[in-house]
Amino acid sequence: MQKSAQLKIMNRFGVTRILPLSKAVFTIGRKAENDLQLLSDTVSRQHAEIVYEDNTYYLIDVGSKRGTYVNDQRVERCALHHQDRLRIGGDDEQQIIFLDDSVENASAIFSSSPNLTLSSPSKDRAPITSANEELQKLARFVEVNQAFKFSMTPDDVLCLIVDAAIEITRAERGFLMLLNAEGNLEFKVARDRNRNWMLGNEFEMSRSVVEESFKQNRSVIINDSKVTMAGLPRDSVRNLDLRSIACIPLRRFQMTENMDATTILKRDVIGVLYVDSNVSGGMLTQTSLKLLESLAFEATKSLESVRLMHEEAEKKNLEVELGMAREVQIALSPSAIKAMEHFEVAARSVPSRYVGGDFYDLIPMKDGRFVFALGDVSGKGVAAALLAAMAQGALQVQFASNHSLTEVITSLNKVLAQRSESNRFITLFCAVLDGEGHLTYINAGHNLPILARTTSETETLTTRSVLLGAFDFVEYKPRQTRLNPGDVVVMYTDGVTEAVNSDNEMFGEDRLEELVKQSVNLSAEQIKQHILDEVISFTRGLPQGDDITLIVLKLKG
Amino acid sequence: MEIHIRTNGNVTIIDLAGNLTIGKSEESLRIIVTQLIAEDKKLLLLNLADVPTIDSSGIGAMIKSFTSVKAVNGKLKVLKPSRMAHQLLTITGLLSVLETFEDEKAAISSF
Repeated sequence: MQKSAQLKIMNRFGVTRILPLSKAVFTIGRKAENDLQLLSDTVSRQHAEIVYEDNTYYLIDVGSKRGTYVNDQRVERCALHHQDRLRIGGDDEQQIIFLDDSVENASAIFSSSPNLTLSSPSKDRAPITSANEELQKLARFVEVNQAFKFSMTPDDVLCLIVDAAIEITRAERGFLMLLNAEGNLEFKVARDRNRNWMLGNEFEMSRSVVEESFKQNRSVIINDSKVTMAGLPRDSVRNLDLRSIACIPLRRFQMTENMDATTILKRDVIGVLYVDSNVSGGMLTQTSLKLLESLAFEATKSLESVRLMHEEAEKKNLEVELGMAREVQIALSPSAIKAMEHFEVAARSVPSRYVGGDFYDLIPMKDGRFVFALGDVSGKGVAAALLAAMAQGALQVQFASNHSLTEVITSLNKVLAQRSESNRFITLFCAVLDGEGHLTYINAGHNLPILARTTSETETLTTRSVLLGAFDFVEYKPRQTRLNPGDVVVMYTDGVTEAVNSDNEMFGEDRLEELVKQSVNLSAEQIKQHILDEVISFTRGLPQGDDITLIVLKLKG
Repeated sequence: MEIHIRTNGNVTIIDLAGNLTIGKSEESLRIIVTQLIAEDKKLLLLNLADVPTIDSSGIGAMIKSFTSVKAVNGKLKVLKPSRMAHQLLTITGLLSVLETFEDEKAAISSF
């Protein structure tokens, strides 16, 4: 007879599982077939084994990558002693303690540890006084309830539920079955009363009770009468000799903001909680039935919250990716260009989300001319950012190969009109500056840039064509203006002028024009910062509604 | 958004009421225009008198409608855009393509 020992496994939420070492070889690893499955990446698929030889348990590393440790010493083969701490690979999610039952009876109904510990099953089934028994069941239920608050993985939670159900009903075995994608009930948890997983995919149980409970959406209780297995082939199982069965449907319920306002959709059954026993004596009292039904309710609730938690984790991943996308987008736009002989330029784009639909570029041409481009893709977020990146790339390539402004814009429009979604457009202001201060520009449906002269006159660069991506037949014709030394051109997106304050008032074009006029003697960098500061102080306290982008160009005096 | 269809001579007038923004309203406009084209109604006047707000999807629906009608040699014109809509059509340069009217009679006789 094998010496009785167990592994106490406590996760970082303080939920403890007890696994009895009831086999000659107990396997540990990442694969599901292992007796103890650990999901950490640092755990090998088949990592270690605990074998029982010569009245001793040995922990043996079976060729793991990250090693096996006992009390922080790496081991290949090591005899286990009571209270030894096991570490499998780099898995620090779980604390694993070896308990030798001959040294100390490790089962305590209530743990004194501040961590939540689920008591191990009582070994004997000696009758307890009824009142006491009910109390104990209640305590058990409270424990499980608390575990939900800490436990993370769905399997852990479901396992706890089944263990609790077994304990409450004093059943021999417990199962939890869930509806799979094919619409069949599938075993999720199969446990015996010693908290061992029962192996296999199918179990001999009363299929008819399960069917009845599942289809009729009601609890089915058979108390202390001999049950003949109707649903199983007679030759494989003649008689399971079951005395008592309880089967409770798991009902989906809707998670609402207010937990009290939870509504149960009665018809939506997603599985069953099933326990049975072949010992006579009646396993179900009214209290335990109620507790069992509450457990089933908790099971569905926890399944739902686990699902939500996974969604939350997905969202976190997405945020990380968006953060990277933002880095890429920032890298795409030049933050500064080397000092130019005849002009200064400063630019900045502030997306309202991780990534924005605004973009700008400053592109030197081979012949010494310089391109300023500022665009706004309709919509926000990733889809808009992708189109912005694509447009920016097209501009860079075409201007680098010395195409004319008209050619570049006309061909970009054709591509967008023919390819992009019907509600994606780009408004674009694109200008080319030569060495004599001639600014040639095309405005495709964009806000009119402001030109402030040193003579303290301001004007807007009028002329307007259709935004890009609407009609493939539009011809874009450039217009030209002459800049004098000291003149300032401010190109911006509507995020600047449509910034709203707490009185629902817009920043507006007039305010921007006035601001530019006043700061015409500052450097391009100072003007850019001045405008951004003013917009931020104008909208103080309110979230940024749209991407904000600015290019300030100043001809040197 | 509510959409009513009426005719004046050989012109079909689409009366919109509500915001022409992303979602059902822009979708329904596109569907209605597709239907009208299928019924061989190719002279369309889009009445925006009761449309306070248009967003980029709404603009998209108008552009798409204009393009589909043009593809079958029809015409789509715009009636009474709100101040905000008019501003949007101006900024985006669409006024140079979408003929716009303040008066229904003038719009009808322009077809």
